This record gives sequence, structure tokens and C-alpha cells, in this order.
Amino acid sequence: MTDTASESRDAPVLAPVLEISGLTKTFDDKVVLDGVSLTVARGQTVCLLGPSGSGKSTLLRCVNWLEKPDQGTVLLCGERIGMRPGGVVPMGNAELAKLRMRMGTVFQHFNLWPHLTVLQNIIEAPVHVQKRRREEVIAEAEALLENVGLADKRDAFPSRLSGGQKQRVGIARALAMKPELLLFDEPTSALDPELVGEVVAVMKSLSQAGSTMLVVTHEMGFARETADKVVLMDGGRVVEEGGPEEFFGNPRTERARQFLQRYVSA
Amino acid sequence: MTLNAFLSLLNGAGVTISVSLAGIALGVPFGLALALLRWQRVPLLAPLATVYVSLLRSTPAVTLCLLIFFALPVIGIEIDALSAAVATLALNTAAFNCEIWRSGLMNFSRDQIEAARTFGMSGPLTFRRIIFPQLWRTCLPSLVNEMTLLIKSSTAIAVIGVAEITRAAIRIGAQTYDPLPPMLVATGIYIVLVLVFVGLQRFTERVYGHAGGAA
Ligand SMILES: Nc1ncnc2c1ncn2[C@@H]1O[C@H](COP(=O)(O)OP(=O)(O)OP(=O)(O)O)[C@@H](O)[C@H]1O
Ligand SMILES: [Mg+2]
Repeated sequence: MTDTASESRDAPVLAPVLEISGLTKTFDDKVVLDGVSLTVARGQTVCLLGPSGSGKSTLLRCVNWLEKPDQGTVLLCGERIGMRPGGVVPMGNAELAKLRMRMGTVFQHFNLWPHLTVLQNIIEAPVHVQKRRREEVIAEAEALLENVGLADKRDAFPSRLSGGQKQRVGIARALAMKPELLLFDEPTSALDPELVGEVVAVMKSLSQAGSTMLVVTHEMGFARETADKVVLMDGGRVVEEGGPEEFFGNPRTERARQFLQRYVSA
Repeated sequence: MTLNAFLSLLNGAGVTISVSLAGIALGVPFGLALALLRWQRVPLLAPLATVYVSLLRSTPAVTLCLLIFFALPVIGIEIDALSAAVATLALNTAAFNCEIWRSGLMNFSRDQIEAARTFGMSGPLTFRRIIFPQLWRTCLPSLVNEMTLLIKSSTAIAVIGVAEITRAAIRIGAQTYDPLPPMLVATGIYIVLVLVFVGLQRFTERVYGHAGGAA
């Protein structure tokens, strides 16, 4: 597709921000993740595709350690998440919080805090978790709101916003943590079709500005145009992984071809 | 009704109000503490809280009051009538408040809590900054309802000789052989008290209620 995308893909090995290897997770008797390995290099946008129930959300939750995987490791900039060095002793809440602070998550259903205004939503964690100076955080939050086109909604409550506006606030809230990695779990799936574009536009510009992003999405257009790498999951496994041109133009596996027929055709 | 009689009624009203307020001030946070223990499924303490709630919910206030006033000294704890009265109301209302807080907690959005967690917020910080500011608003109507029930059931403490409003009214009626006027005044005072609480609730909801609605 675009030259820049292939350039960044072929560039000399970049330090991985996120390294998932051999991740396994079972709920009751159901194997939801079955040895998933995945790497996101600095500045990369990786799109994670897959049918419903394939384990995409569970994978993101394991990265946040909201879900404890049964096996495998997750490294953030080389640091093990959830386990102390040595891999035997689980991390305490404070240690986990330190790592979680370095990732920003954007949720399908926004998960904004309804009793706080837009600005308060954005500054909550930087002020109370990262303990940064309030005035400084507010100035940054205002700049972020400007970037996502919501400067005039600074003092509005989330209930007054459209879905697209809520999600842009959700993105600004994640960015306010100055995260090394952004995680998106179907950020446009809960939106009315006409509101998807405004959120996708913000995500694209983040990707172009060099953010490191792992994006679970059904927006094939976004994946095709923006991703440095596309990963297809099915039944808890990575079934195909590659650059967007190969993935969309010439998928190697039968499973990927079926998936693309269902989601891209029409 | 003489001025003296009226004053002793007012005195009774004062006792009812102060004992009730003390019971509420202790019982509402205690109920929240019980609810948190159960909600967080704290080992050992959560089942204890469950037992506490079912025991207290099935014990009439009068019985509880007598139990506290006469049983505590037996195990070596001296307690005066007024303290026993406050303890009765607090322990009783805490059981009901626990259920109110707990249902608020159980209905609280998991998504919001999860968002707080992914942003590195600790449990206590999440409770203080995210949960509680919304929880008290949703629980307020039920809590105020329970407060009005407490005020009305506070007459149970008369059984250990505390001169609260109903007891004062009965005594005046017995002295004057005309029970109706003091009873009417007592009833009027209860109604005013309850109306004040409901009015305070409405006022609070108007001032703090703007942030409602789902995100
Ligand atoms: N806490 C849980 N307990 C039991 N089963 C779970 C739990 N969380 C997820 N699952 C199951 O794991 C499987 C994968 O779920 P997951 O949410 O990760 O899929 P997904 O790829 O994100 O799907 P979708 O596109 O619908 O969001 C599903 O079958 C789901 O029912
Ligand atoms: Mg999902």
C-alpha cells in the first residue's frame, strides 16, 4: 500500500515495546488463548483481527494483567508484567500499577467516569496515580482535547456527548498518561456508523505521529491503510500474521481467506 | 396542656433527634464497612458480616435494646441508658444500611472499575475517587428512607427508660388524664422530623445530582 508503511516494516529491528510469548489462558474447560505470541515494535501499529470469541479481548486483558494467563510471558519494554524477575513470585498491586500506568487502554464502551467532566476524566489518573502537577496536567489535557477536536467540551459531562465524542475523550484520557503503548479494544464497534470516521481519523493521526499501538478492530479500512502489521486470531491462536498488503491482497492461509471474505466483501 | 408539659415534650423530641442522629452517624458508615467486607469477599470477615446482618435484621429494636442494656453489664461492660439507646439504633440500622450499600456496590459498573484498574488506580483510590462519589448518590434515597424508619422506630429505646418523645407524651397524658393533645404534638414532631430528612435529601439531590446518566 503506502511506501511509509513498508519502510517502517522493513526498517532495522526496532526495540519491541510489547512482547507476548506463548500465552495460554483457559476459562473452566475452554481454551481461550492457546500459545499466542505477538510483538509490537516501537512506533508500530499492529491490528489484531479475528472473529467473535477468538480471544482478542482476553489477550488485551492479559497484557493489562486484568486476567492472569496460565502460561507464557508478557514483556513491556523488556520488563515482565505480572511476575517479579525470576517468574515465580507474582507482582503486588503497587508494582502492577506502575506497569499499567505505562499503557493506555481505550475501551469498546468508552468506560468514562460519568461523575467527572471531560477534563476531570482526562486528568484523574495523571494527577492521582502518576502524581504529576495538576496545572501541568491540565495544560496538557487541554492540548489533547484540542487535538481530538473537543476543546469546547472541556467541562461537559460524558452523558452529554455523542458516542464518537466519548471515544475521543477516551483516547485523550489514555494519551494523558503519556503511555509507551496504546491498547484499543474495538474502539469503534459501539459507534453509530456515521461516527466511526471521526474516531478512526484520530487513531490514524496517532499512528502517523509514531505512537505504538495494538488495535483490536473490525475496521478493515483502518487496518489496511494504517497497520504496519496485521495479526489474525482464531480459536485462541494466531493463524496469520503479516503486512497489510500481503494479508489483504494475498493471504497465505485458508482461514484468513475465509475471514476476509466475510468481513471485507460487499 | 401546660407549658411545662409542652417543654418536656420538646425535651423528648430533643432526645429522639439526638439519639437518632447519633445512631445514623454511626450506623451509616458501619453499614458501609459491612457492605465493603461482603462485596470484597474478605475471608472470615465477610461471612461474619452476613451473619451479623441476618441476626440484626430479625431482632426487634426493643429486644435488641433490652439485650444491650441488661446483657452487657452481665459480661462486665457497664453502659448507661443513653449509650445503649444509641448503640441499639446504630447496630440495627447498620444491618439495613449494609444491604443498601451492598446492592449499590453490586450494581456498580464493572467497566468503570476496570478502567480505573487499567489506569493504575489502587483499590482504595478507586473507591474514593470513582465508586463512592457515585455510590452515595444512588444509595441516598434508600438511606434516607431507612433514616426515617429509624426515627420512627427510635421509640423502642423508651423500654430502658430513655425519655424520648413518645414516652414523654405518654407520661404527660397519664398526668393530665388527657392523652390526645400530647400524642398529637408528638405525632406532629415526628412528621416534621421526617419531612426535614426528605427535604434535605431532595436538596442534596438537586445540588449534587447533575452528573447523572451513564457514560
Ligand atoms: N471471564 C470469563 N469467564 C469465562 N469465559 C470467558 C471469560 N472471558 C472471556 N471468556 C470466553 O473466552 C472466549 C474469548 O473471549 P474474548 O472476549 O477474548 O473474545 P473476542 O475475540 O474479544 O470476541 P469479540 O469480538 O466478541 O469481542 C469467549 O468464548 C468468551 O466467552
Ligand atoms: Mg472482544
